[in-house]
Amino acid sequence: MEKFTLSTLKNRKTSDQVPPTNYIRVGMSTCGIAAGADDVFAAITEEAEKRKMNMKILKCGCIGACYAEPLVEVAVEGMPIVYYGRVTRDTAIKILDKHISLKTIVQDYVFEGITGGSKS
Amino acid sequence: MSSIEYILIRDTSPAQSDGTKDFFTLILNKIVELGLQEKIHVVRAADIGLYNKGNVVKVLPQGVVYTHIVSEDISDLINAVKNNTVFEKKLYKDLSYKQHRLVLRNCGVINPESIDEYLDRGGYQGLRNALEKKPAEVIAEIKKSGLRGRGGAGFPTWLKWELTANQKSDQRFVICNGDEGDPGAYMDRSVMEGDPHSVVEGLSIAAYAIGATKGFFYIRAEYPLAVQRIKNAVQQATALGLHGNNILGTDFSLELEVRLGAGAFVCGEETSLIASIEGKRGTPRPRPPFPSVKGLWGKPTSINNVETLANVPVILHEGGGKFAKIGTEKGAGTKVFALTGKICNTGLIEVPMGITLREIVEDVGGGVLGGKKIKAIQTGGPSGGVIPAQFHDTPVDYENLGKLGSIMGSGGMIVLDEDDCVVDVAKFYMQFCVDESCGKCAPCRIGTYQMKDILAKITDGKAELEDLTRLQEIGTAMQKASLCGLGQTAANPVLSTIKYFLDEYKEHIVNKKCPARKCKNLMTYRIIPEKCKRCRVCVKNCPENAISGDRETGYIIDQQKCIKCGICFNVCKFDAVLGA
Repeated sequence: MEKFTLSTLKNRKTSDQVPPTNYIRVGMSTCGIAAGADDVFAAITEEAEKRKMNMKILKCGCIGACYAEPLVEVAVEGMPIVYYGRVTRDTAIKILDKHISLKTIVQDYVFEGITGGSKS
Repeated sequence: MSSIEYILIRDTSPAQSDGTKDFFTLILNKIVELGLQEKIHVVRAADIGLYNKGNVVKVLPQGVVYTHIVSEDISDLINAVKNNTVFEKKLYKDLSYKQHRLVLRNCGVINPESIDEYLDRGGYQGLRNALEKKPAEVIAEIKKSGLRGRGGAGFPTWLKWELTANQKSDQRFVICNGDEGDPGAYMDRSVMEGDPHSVVEGLSIAAYAIGATKGFFYIRAEYPLAVQRIKNAVQQATALGLHGNNILGTDFSLELEVRLGAGAFVCGEETSLIASIEGKRGTPRPRPPFPSVKGLWGKPTSINNVETLANVPVILHEGGGKFAKIGTEKGAGTKVFALTGKICNTGLIEVPMGITLREIVEDVGGGVLGGKKIKAIQTGGPSGGVIPAQFHDTPVDYENLGKLGSIMGSGGMIVLDEDDCVVDVAKFYMQFCVDESCGKCAPCRIGTYQMKDILAKITDGKAELEDLTRLQEIGTAMQKASLCGLGQTAANPVLSTIKYFLDEYKEHIVNKKCPARKCKNLMTYRIIPEKCKRCRVCVKNCPENAISGDRETGYIIDQQKCIKCGICFNVCKFDAVLGA
């Protein structure tokens, strides 16, 4: 891999939103994993594979809302970014089938007011 | 295709029964009546970020919030949503964003195992800026920012660096203190797990500023994921020339190594931590000489907390002046707190300095669990104190909390409600200090043990009023005579609770009663025959079979067998069990 120098790092592009759309992000710090994020992440990966979904499935650290773990952030093009909290395997599948396939937000699991770093 | 509006709804009134579903039906009926169900989607939220504001509605993507919505408002509300206008009458205007994310800027946003995502968000630009300056200029930038140590004591970071840099020596060291041990605190863990590169970058900048070529991460072994992610981050940085020899093509080289702590609380104290890295027993030594003069292997060493270091890249990237504008004059920047205890939203928060405790609890934390009354807030863990409710409008910074007999500490914040007994809390922390005292100096080794014994006497109902004076005397002696911070501060929880909750101590000692019903040995449970409906539910639930009798004569609790678990009190539907 090419090493950075002062000037190449300076010219490296930065963007505020990484990645922009069509992703599912699961909080995978100790608090999330303790609440079952491992299982949720596995479920999402497997089921999205089965459904041949064009979604990036990503991991992230603790966003701070430990009371709502496991926390899943869903960004689908044309829809607002939604955080689902206390997600189980079953809810994860609902998210794929309803939110991503049918573009309808799943009832009763949305946590609004979760504060991501990008909003500050 | 016309875009869809989403209405998030939530009943936020503190009542036991949740009215969200009824409210949902009302709104949905109206939408169907107007034939708008294809254009407006109604979503029941599990949490909407506001509390005690009646029926709350948030419209997305418009972003406006309405509170206290009643059925008469629904038509106007839906019209406003349809026409993309604002329903002024119920508009919630106070959407000031209480949290301010600097340290946690990337936590929960990027993949902690990917250096690319960190670089995408401006990562390592702070290090680049630093390397383009002279080391003294880097320290000047930190001085301008007003950054103070986030580990608890609040020592100015620039001064620590300058003192280390000014020592004549062939070798200097930097250490990142990741030995987080306060009960209920996990700020550093989250930063190391969620954004490890920011800590690596911060430590690299520190090393450059003081002229160190070797640095250590001292992380407790109970944080395996943090250790793994820091190691991974160092590896990735090395591959891209951001760590190792000739960083970014300059003359600056640095080698970072991870050392594991065995989970001794005292090793968070800097001289013990140094001893532990040197391979010796983790005990403190008298200061001065401070580590900045004589530290690791006798060389000048700068030890900074994880959170302090995570601030450094931001300061170097965006400038110290911008950082200094956040927070208060004497406490620039933000502070991360681990909010736990009897609070709705337990979790990690980052707020600007100068915010009040009440704002933290009510607005950020969502209020006290179960709508109960707040009694106090414990800050700073075993070294901190308990701040009673009447002082909760105090702005949070190092000086103010110090005046109240507590400390900022590393950032643990435990909310206590009316059901918590302050004597019990003080006893818990004292037991913690007894377990964690290294035993090197007598005031701490003997003092903590004696204080714990006296507190146990109080909670057992065997104490006398003189014991309070004894607690204060021992506590003051420990503050003055202990070798390190552990012993000097161990008495704080006890002294601050005696200061603010003297009545509660006296109630335990004189009347042998625990107002919060926490101290089991002061409790007796009794069945009131007149109220008892002979349902036997207490009999069935008693784990010790201590309740005897029959439906004819009624039931009594055998005080000899009773273990005071309180189950009978909790299961009785007729308030026939008296606990006092």
